[in-house]
Amino acid sequence: MKNLIIALFALFALASCIDEPETQPNTYAGNFESLWKIIDQKYCFLDYKNINWDSIYTVYKPRVDTVSNQYVFFDLMGSMLGELKDGHVNLYSAFDKSRYWKWFTDYPTNFSSSLIGTNRYLGSDYRIAGGFQYATIDNGKVGYMCYEDFSDGFSDTNIAYILKSFSNCKGLIIDVRNNGGGSLDLSSQLASYFFTEDKVTGYMSHKTGSGHSDFSKPVEMLTVAHPTIQWKRPVVVLTNRLSYSATNAFVCRMKEAPNTLIVGDKTGGGGGMPLSSELPNGWLVRFSAVPMFDANMNQIEWGIDPDIKVDMSLADEAAGYDSIIEKAISLIK
Amino acid sequence: MKKKIVLALGIFASLILSAQNNVEPKYLLTTKSCSVGYSILSFIDPYLSPAVYSGNGLTYVSDSRRYFTPNNNLYSSQSRFRILGGSMLNPTSSSEMIYLGINYGWGANYHFRLNNNLKILAGGLLDVDVAFKDISRNINNPVNLDLATNFNITGLLLYDIHMKKRTLQLQVAMQTPVAGYMFVPFGGASYYDMFELGSLTDAFHFSSVYNKRGLDQTYTLNVPFNSVTWRLGVRLHNLKYKANELVFKQNEVSFIVGASFDVITFGGRKRTAPANFISTNN
Repeated sequence: MKNLIIALFALFALASCIDEPETQPNTYAGNFESLWKIIDQKYCFLDYKNINWDSIYTVYKPRVDTVSNQYVFFDLMGSMLGELKDGHVNLYSAFDKSRYWKWFTDYPTNFSSSLIGTNRYLGSDYRIAGGFQYATIDNGKVGYMCYEDFSDGFSDTNIAYILKSFSNCKGLIIDVRNNGGGSLDLSSQLASYFFTEDKVTGYMSHKTGSGHSDFSKPVEMLTVAHPTIQWKRPVVVLTNRLSYSATNAFVCRMKEAPNTLIVGDKTGGGGGMPLSSELPNGWLVRFSAVPMFDANMNQIEWGIDPDIKVDMSLADEAAGYDSIIEKAISLIK
Repeated sequence: MKKKIVLALGIFASLILSAQNNVEPKYLLTTKSCSVGYSILSFIDPYLSPAVYSGNGLTYVSDSRRYFTPNNNLYSSQSRFRILGGSMLNPTSSSEMIYLGINYGWGANYHFRLNNNLKILAGGLLDVDVAFKDISRNINNPVNLDLATNFNITGLLLYDIHMKKRTLQLQVAMQTPVAGYMFVPFGGASYYDMFELGSLTDAFHFSSVYNKRGLDQTYTLNVPFNSVTWRLGVRLHNLKYKANELVFKQNEVSFIVGASFDVITFGGRKRTAPANFISTNN
């Protein structure tokens, strides 16, 4: 019995090796420390982007001491996160959401919804299925499908009907300009209709420790060809800087698809799947945590270059033409 | 004379054998306890959030004990099913965590009878934890799963308190995990790359007192009343574990009420119920 008691005490003495979870107080300084540490330990592009996060601490810490109210503090923390130059990084409070938008505001728009709505393209008689607006254009020779949000779900049946309506077309245009992303599953599913065999189209890794370079071995991201629905004619994917996140991942897959060209502007990037955490004051922080790579193990955080770079010209726009769609039509012809 | 003695011995022997054949068979009783409770919860799950989430929950516990064989009252088996569901808020009440956990365990105990009023059961229990935690406002990491199996050391003290009209029983149950296996993802991993892409390396860990510490205490007072023994009690459960640089904490205080009763079961391949036991199945 005595031995048993000693053994139990030994067990609990050993167990004290487990540290207490570190928590910060709900003060401006505590919230700053918490936010800085979350990014320091979990943000996945500090090394890739050559960001000296320690110096960011040095710059912003003294400013926290001068904060007078939560709005000022929120703006200060938003500015600090802006140093990451990442559209996937946001701070959410009950009164505001910080954001970094220069990844598209500093670039040409390369998209005009009013132009697409003209009779030359979608017109007013287009059909809608599973988040896709679709119609034949160029006198029925080209199929055109516009997908604005990878959060809008679709089914095989939706796609089967859409592709069937293009059965007399020479090729297909998939317009994912201004598509800011959504579900990675849907980006994989949409790509699957344009592959005739399974193919490794990218890699994904994740952080395995608090060090800036602590990453797991990248795992293959396979694009599995759809067993029954396969489009085998030419495809042109239209992109601009607002093609972001899951759309960026879709373009990454389509880069490897047969008979496919990417036309338009470089995508906006967003090659790190975001996760989230929270501060002691309850604010939510979203940050890139899981880096994705293309089939050649290149980072796609800064975007994917098109095969053919085309910007919309003002002259074309004034004449009622979308320069990028026109280029795609000429390529299919 | 010699013949008479042999005859008498023969009759005596046959009477003894006959008496032995008439001994009633023993049947094992199963002591079942069912309890429900109100729980006060406090969790830290750093995969979901570094904040402490606190709130309330409801729990249900079903526990069965019986001896292995009718002729040996030193060794008994135990099986236990426990479910706990709750809702918790972060300190600023701006985010909610939903928790649903199930635990099933099976174990064996040795009975120490220290005196007429005091008995201690000591043994081990192998259990499986499956729990689901959800912070729905999180982006891409809204859910974390607790998957673990543990070998636990268990102890149960039973002390009879004799009153005028009835005998109460105080029960003190203790349990602590010793070794096992648990799923703990990296803080930077998403369930997409773990389960869709199969990147599960280092997500499963051997657990021991070095990285998993817990103490589960239940204090119960059993009050016999008519054919049922009512139970009132409090359960204190503290658990802390660490893997992949993440430290998880789970504290639970439950106030439980339930009933305990002895049942006899006849089942399995051998339908051993004697004819004078009436069942709706017959």
